[in-house]
Amino acid sequence: MTWLVWRLHRTQLYIAAALLAALTVLLLVTGLQMASQYHSALAACAASHSCANLASTLFLGSHAVGFGVIMTLGVPALFGLFWGAPLVASELETGTSQFAWMQTVTRKHWLAVTAGWMLLAAAAWGGAVSGLVTWWSGPDNALQLDQFKPGRFDIMGIVPVGYALFAMALGLCAGALLRRTLPALAVTLAGFIVVRAVITVWLRPHYLSAVTVTYKLFSPFTPTGSYWQLAQGVLNPAGRLVPAANGLAIDGVPVGSLPSACAAPASGLQPPGPACRQALAAFHGFITYQPASRYWAFQGIEFGIFAALATVLIAVTAVMLLRRDV
Amino acid sequence: MIGVQAVPEAATAIRTIGLSKRYHRVTALSEATITVPEGRISALIGPNGAGKTTLLRLLAGLTRPTGGEMTVNGGIPRQDPAFLAGIGFLAQEVPLYRRLSAEDHIRAGAHLNPCWDGVSVRERLAALAIPVDRAVGTLSGGQRAQVALALTLAKRPRLLLLDEPVAALDPLARRNFLAILADAVAAGGLTVVLSSHLVADAERVCDHIIMLAASRVQLCGDIDTLLAEHQILVGPRKDTSAIERDHRVVQLTRTPRQVTMLVRRNGPVIDPAFAVSDVSLEELVLAYMGQDAPPTLARLTSIGDSE
Repeated sequence: MTWLVWRLHRTQLYIAAALLAALTVLLLVTGLQMASQYHSALAACAASHSCANLASTLFLGSHAVGFGVIMTLGVPALFGLFWGAPLVASELETGTSQFAWMQTVTRKHWLAVTAGWMLLAAAAWGGAVSGLVTWWSGPDNALQLDQFKPGRFDIMGIVPVGYALFAMALGLCAGALLRRTLPALAVTLAGFIVVRAVITVWLRPHYLSAVTVTYKLFSPFTPTGSYWQLAQGVLNPAGRLVPAANGLAIDGVPVGSLPSACAAPASGLQPPGPACRQALAAFHGFITYQPASRYWAFQGIEFGIFAALATVLIAVTAVMLLRRDV
Repeated sequence: MIGVQAVPEAATAIRTIGLSKRYHRVTALSEATITVPEGRISALIGPNGAGKTTLLRLLAGLTRPTGGEMTVNGGIPRQDPAFLAGIGFLAQEVPLYRRLSAEDHIRAGAHLNPCWDGVSVRERLAALAIPVDRAVGTLSGGQRAQVALALTLAKRPRLLLLDEPVAALDPLARRNFLAILADAVAAGGLTVVLSSHLVADAERVCDHIIMLAASRVQLCGDIDTLLAEHQILVGPRKDTSAIERDHRVVQLTRTPRQVTMLVRRNGPVIDPAFAVSDVSLEELVLAYMGQDAPPTLARLTSIGDSE
């Protein structure tokens, strides 16, 4: 069975290996450049005691490569589209399943070996791409502290492996349900995007209850490390959220919401006077965020969710192929 | 079963009782009861859409029945290596991986079957001058069918289920293939069911027939027995109730002058008014298919008219 899986899918495997090799070369070369750029900049700023604003002055690498790395968000979907969806669908569509399933091999065995190798391949490739991107992003993470933010979180660590497993399982399941390759491709792509978006936007912020810190406007609070900010704003003395500053503002409080003691002159803002400062003391800033220390817990939870979804999809595929007519 | 030795003549390859398959509201096969003894080459004959493919897929275990029972090679069709090893099934669309060569398929078969005769496939394809190293997608339809047939035989099944196997073959290849089949059955241990809508194929090699029409089994049995049981009676147009009482009238054609009946007789027909003649397989099949104007019988009728 393994031989047949290898023979049928070795071309895709070679292509995937070639693409991975190309990505490896690109990221190794640019990654090493970025690391040395970062370390020399760090040494230079340490000498001039100006490291505090390094993040805003230093840009590592090139936009093109950075964009390419962000595009690895789509890599897991490729497994589902090019490997998963056609796998069962094309067998059913062209009838070759009737060749494979009429040998002395049960469909259960066929599915176990085929899906097993495919999931393994997806996990291996997803893990390799993620490992490369994680290593490549090391200096940038240290500089920008943004590895917890959506878009960055999704291409590093172990979650890409979970996405790859999910995409592969989704492709297999869509193929088994729809029995035709093109509709299975469409459903796999749409399903992958929808599930990823829904989980990122609505579920991920709530894996662990977020931390909210309120602070006085004159001593703003910034969490340490690469935290994930979910919300930030200013509350007026009544505890209402002040509309976000969009133009002139004092300490984040826009002109329209300033207390009367801060009556702004018509042209531009003056530094706040003592009365104004006193009135503003009743205002509070707040930040709701996930602390940097939860990064790996979130990675683990998100991986677990996608691995569980993949398991369910494989179970549905098995029911479709073993219980129903083929 | 231990210690009980089945008598070879009594051994059955296929036995179904009231086998039915319904897809949503469409009935593909209704109450099919058939028996195919071991060692037969059985022709599964019927018009398109009669349920031939459904019956073969049920027997192969690719489809589950919605009613009835079946025993195939002494067991119920199921997902089990022991059952699968005994069944060779070739679907009508000749399913092969188009990008793989015949050689790849032979090697796959060797990996997937405990008992695999790859040598026979290579020999057969060499004899037919079919290249084994080219992607099967580049072969002609007939060549692909030959590759698929050779692969199906290489599994050495006890029961071979072939869905329209000769449809893609030219007349010479068709004859050649049927001869190969007959040889394989003669060598022993093999039963074949091959579906076709051509009676000529059945006449050449088959000794058993299953006739399906409108999702129902119309006729099932050994061809020689069935031919002996049926006769055509041509006689004057008179009261036929005596014959209808003693025998089963399958088809009755009346013209102003005379009446033609195809009957399944119970004992000899003793009515001197009727000319009794033997029936051909084609006449038998057409009569049971209940076609409106079977060409053979229509000809008989018109001859009677002109007299």
